[in-house]
Amino acid sequence: MVAASSTDTAFPRAGGAVTSILRKPSVIPGFGLTLGFTLTYLSILVLLPLGALIAKAGGLGWSGFWNAVLTPRVWAAFEVSFGLSLVAAAVNAVFGFIVAWVLVRYSFPGKRLVDALVDLPFALPTAVAGIALSALYAPNGWVGKPLNELFGLKVAFTPVGIAIALTFIGLPFVVRTVQPILEDLPPEEEEAAVSLGATRGQTFRRVVFPAVLPALVTGFALSFARGVGEYGSVIFIAGNMPGLTEILPLLIVIKLEQYDYAGAAAVGTAMLLVSFVMLLVLNLLQTWMRSRHAR
Amino acid sequence: MPANRSGVALSDPAWMRWLLIGTALAFLALFLLLPLVAVFAEALRRGFGAYWAALVEEDAVAAIKLTLIVAAIAVPANLVFGVAASWCVAKFDFRGKNLLITLIDLPFSVSPVISGLIYVLLFGLNGLMGPFLKAQGIQIIFAVPGLVLATIFVTFPFVARELIPLMQEQGSEEEEAALVLGASGWQTFWRVTLPNIKWGLLYGVLLCNARAMGEFGAVSVVSGHVRGYTNTMPLHVEILYNEYNFVAAFAVASVLAMLALVTLVAKTVLEWRFGAELAATRHK
Amino acid sequence: MAIQVSGITKQFGSYKALDAVDLEVRSGELLALLGPSGSGKTTLLRIMAGLESPDAGSLQLNGEEALGLKPRDRQVGFVFQHYALFRHMTVFDNVAFGLKVRPRGQRFGSAEIKRRVTELLELVQLGHFADRYPAQLSGGQRQRVALARALAIEPKVLLLDEPFGALDAKVRKELRRWLRKLHDDIHITSVFVTHDQEEALELADRVVVMSQGRIEQIGSPADVYDHPSSAFVYEFLGQVNRFDCTVEDGVARIGNGALSIPTDPAVRGAAIAYVRPHDLGVSPAAGGPGRISGVHVVGPDARVEIELAGLSLEAEMDRERFGALGIALGDRCAVHIDRARVFAR
Repeated sequence: MVAASSTDTAFPRAGGAVTSILRKPSVIPGFGLTLGFTLTYLSILVLLPLGALIAKAGGLGWSGFWNAVLTPRVWAAFEVSFGLSLVAAAVNAVFGFIVAWVLVRYSFPGKRLVDALVDLPFALPTAVAGIALSALYAPNGWVGKPLNELFGLKVAFTPVGIAIALTFIGLPFVVRTVQPILEDLPPEEEEAAVSLGATRGQTFRRVVFPAVLPALVTGFALSFARGVGEYGSVIFIAGNMPGLTEILPLLIVIKLEQYDYAGAAAVGTAMLLVSFVMLLVLNLLQTWMRSRHAR
Repeated sequence: MPANRSGVALSDPAWMRWLLIGTALAFLALFLLLPLVAVFAEALRRGFGAYWAALVEEDAVAAIKLTLIVAAIAVPANLVFGVAASWCVAKFDFRGKNLLITLIDLPFSVSPVISGLIYVLLFGLNGLMGPFLKAQGIQIIFAVPGLVLATIFVTFPFVARELIPLMQEQGSEEEEAALVLGASGWQTFWRVTLPNIKWGLLYGVLLCNARAMGEFGAVSVVSGHVRGYTNTMPLHVEILYNEYNFVAAFAVASVLAMLALVTLVAKTVLEWRFGAELAATRHK
Repeated sequence: MAIQVSGITKQFGSYKALDAVDLEVRSGELLALLGPSGSGKTTLLRIMAGLESPDAGSLQLNGEEALGLKPRDRQVGFVFQHYALFRHMTVFDNVAFGLKVRPRGQRFGSAEIKRRVTELLELVQLGHFADRYPAQLSGGQRQRVALARALAIEPKVLLLDEPFGALDAKVRKELRRWLRKLHDDIHITSVFVTHDQEEALELADRVVVMSQGRIEQIGSPADVYDHPSSAFVYEFLGQVNRFDCTVEDGVARIGNGALSIPTDPAVRGAAIAYVRPHDLGVSPAAGGPGRISGVHVVGPDARVEIELAGLSLEAEMDRERFGALGIALGDRCAVHIDRARVFAR
């Protein structure tokens, strides 16, 4: 019998170091090449620069870091960015759900067009969205003028304007995460509920909504995360008053323009940290919900 | 697609249907359609002559060219990366695979401004590698390479995240069949794998390109805003807008809006035509 | 071409798929690898094709060590369970693929490729389907395309993984006979994997029964069916009554002596007895030890369930014979065993 030694050389398709991280050897070629390229590309373009950010912020030391982050102006910007992103994500959760519901359950003329339009915020450059919203909601704009004259509501250059821009940017996240779940919901479940005597409202509350909730939370989280980092669509409509309508990303840009690189890095790092923690919490929440409604 | 929903038990009363449809359409019209219309309306406010003049003006042309150049480098780079990454993730089982997938998606959860900032911190004059680059006479930040790097970062995951689920769903049997039939690794890739993923690939490239040409925050940080040299179209829009040159700003913006519309149409056509093949990427 | 498998071992994580397997495939024969899922049969087939590499052991194709060879250098044809047809290619291009990817020096001209592919498509009776795509074919047609594609490279060995697994019962039977006939015509050494004992017994020259990474028995279909060498093979091949029993002095006693079977005196103590339903005879007997507890007439066969001393037995006979017995549900009866095997526990 030929001993095991012969099989070590059986498939000399990848180097020893590369094959050792493979869990299961495969006849498909190119593992070493593609993994090597992927890791190199990822390291140079993503990991190294992100490392530079952490290094720069770390260079400040604990006290330096907190001093840079805990100024009233930075704190206010945190409140503006995170608070208004929450508002926008909540609005999107409600209306995004309705849009997804209508697109899946009902038919009406122009439905496909509407379906395609939902992705507009993904495709439209943020700066374009920014100036368009700004022009619409300005005191003399198409929407801003009637709002101002009828209700005395100022939108542009106030927090309301920021919330509107963030709603625009976050809408597709909710629709596109909820829509496929609604589509895949087996009608039999609802029919079963109805046959057991449930009203339409009870069926929705007890059967449909719990099944869709995890996706809705995901969409909410994605919309929220996108809002916190958003820059282009907000700065034109925001007015950018420090402490009132100044968002975090803008503050980073301002610090950079003042050559306060360490300060910019500190704010950036803090922002990443808070976003990650919030996403982590939402992820855990979602996993928990999924495990309860395992399907 | 959903099973037949026409059953009597599941149909909502007409008043409710139309209330919900009305709400959804009103919301979408206000938030999506109106801004889009506003772009073109504002651009054409002073007539077509002023519109056209704003587009053929020297700095605008330079901005359009620069945008095309940046996308022409960033998109193919991420295309090659996306194919390589999804090949190794989808065809092999290895330690740390889930971590790799998470890292590939990482740029999506980073604010565009931070995406620019990290390159300034790495390659800028006061950055980690700044002194070295200055000694070599290489300028990255406030120059085209910086724009390309920032654009690659923000569009990094697009192709890979379309292809990974698609290739995972397709499995490796066809590749194995090709190898047994005598094909080499490259022959297998070009003749079997690529034709199977081409629509998913095109889908990813489409989204990647739209973002690459439209990116604002990240390139804004690394650009330095030198008119005619480091201004891409979105940055040019900003400058014009801040100069109260609204017609010109919206004129350039309308070109970007048209790009977005073309992207949406192409994307929709792909979804209608090859919906089944793309299903893995859309419903993951 | 003959295949010699020696000491092949393959581990997936903590799961041992193959445990020092030895096997000889004779030149020109049609061999079945039969076993339940997880028995290692597909892994063994994939190792022969070069799609998996074993942890230890050797594989010789015509006396030459083949483990170091890539699949493309082994000259094996492989038919995948779900066919793995190239979905974006026509039937013609699928079959031509192996010829088109040959290195430049060995490649045929396009006219020759066309001739060969056409010939193969005629062979598998798909001459009119050359321009169709796989999605436009039925399961049985896809199966034959996969076969033609594998044969196109003129393999020395044909390996088939559950070749009929994805087909419905009627097509499966037809294709099975057709494949047997094809093999009789071209006599290519062939190995196929199946979990369906009927398929293995009907089609193969020799059957290899596998379980948990080991070979349980190798033999002709009649051999493995009539003389199973282990309890596993007995249970896996066909319907069987299984009884716990105790053996004393060459007699196995079942159900406290309600039934007894003469057996090999070497076996002693606790044992298991196997009786095939058609080796179990039933006769009407007022006051007999058994009671008819169920009767199922399925097509030409009758299956009779009997309760005897707390045991539940199944007998099988043809319908005519059942009718001649004149027994009905609830009747008392006597039971006799025509043939049985007893294995020590």
